[in-house]
Amino acid sequence: MKIRDHWIGAALAACWTFGLAAASQAADLPPLSHSLTMQAPKPAPPLKLKDMEGKTVDLAQFKGKVVLINFWATWCPPCRREMPSMERLSQAFKGQPFVVLAVDVGEDPDTIETFISQLDTTLTFPILLDTRSHGMRAWKVAGLPTTFLVDKQGRIVASAIGGREFDHPEIVREIQKLLRK
Amino acid sequence: MRRLTLTLLAAWPLTGWATTHSVDPETGLATWQTETQGAQIRLTQISPDQIRGFYLARGFSPEAAERYARECVFMTVVRNIGDTTIHHRLADWRYATADQPRRAVRGKPAWDALWKRMGVGESARIAFTWAQFPATQTFAPGDWNQGMTAYSVPRGEVFDLQVVWRAGGKAHGGILEQVRCADENS
Repeated sequence: MKIRDHWIGAALAACWTFGLAAASQAADLPPLSHSLTMQAPKPAPPLKLKDMEGKTVDLAQFKGKVVLINFWATWCPPCRREMPSMERLSQAFKGQPFVVLAVDVGEDPDTIETFISQLDTTLTFPILLDTRSHGMRAWKVAGLPTTFLVDKQGRIVASAIGGREFDHPEIVREIQKLLRK
Repeated sequence: MRRLTLTLLAAWPLTGWATTHSVDPETGLATWQTETQGAQIRLTQISPDQIRGFYLARGFSPEAAERYARECVFMTVVRNIGDTTIHHRLADWRYATADQPRRAVRGKPAWDALWKRMGVGESARIAFTWAQFPATQTFAPGDWNQGMTAYSVPRGEVFDLQVVWRAGGKAHGGILEQVRCADENS
């Protein structure tokens, strides 16, 4: 019964997310933006969460690297739309001190796995589980998706509210600037 | 600053905005959109069945999902298309039908209290909370959010929605007129 319930739930979720994605396209939702809002550097709140394999990932371990932190959920249409561009961005900076962390809010690994398996793109960056949305609250996130750029010193230097085309030249340029510092 | 917003709220009815209206040929669901004073506001109908499907999949009981499906729910998008930061507060929005007085949009805490009373689990309540349009938000140029807003309006009825925000030290606002609640069979 439990397995059957799980599959029914997964099927419902898939129907909804695909239905909504289709509706989003049909309704011609606003295009993904490509701006970052630069801000005076301020220390990033702590972020220590488990990844999909149950391994703890701590933002503090990435000191010395530029980190892009994206808060998202599988049912959030702009989050889904921006995910492939985040992977392309991650690949573009491969081998450089740059890390992407995608923080999923309130969902379990099975649900996330179902979503990932439906993407044309393979995601190679860590997905962290903010199961009770405490991380979101600590980072004062008001809506999904919200993205922060953290510099090598562990300070928030930019943010973006709403879906983005992350491999847009404007965003790439800002990251390159931070990497040079 | 809050006084400016309140003054604008008291000025109902404000001017109706020039609004574009479109209907998705596949789903039959309608969208109302306006672009004014550096803000883009868009409301797209969500059908009751879509609401049921979404919340059942997030762990709502059929009774709780049905309760929300009784509301008139819209996918709501606010986007900063100008060059000044926009400060949004959903509590400042008002809606009114021809025969009902204007009302505020029910906030997340009130919904959360209802879901707790109905025994909705924590993960389902978290999904509900974050699926709603933010209660407050600061939109820098280029920023935007998408989320659900719900209005207690009977199926198929029309209402006017007064949207208010602050930008550049001033309160701005206007009305999306004749927004129609989705039919049961949309």
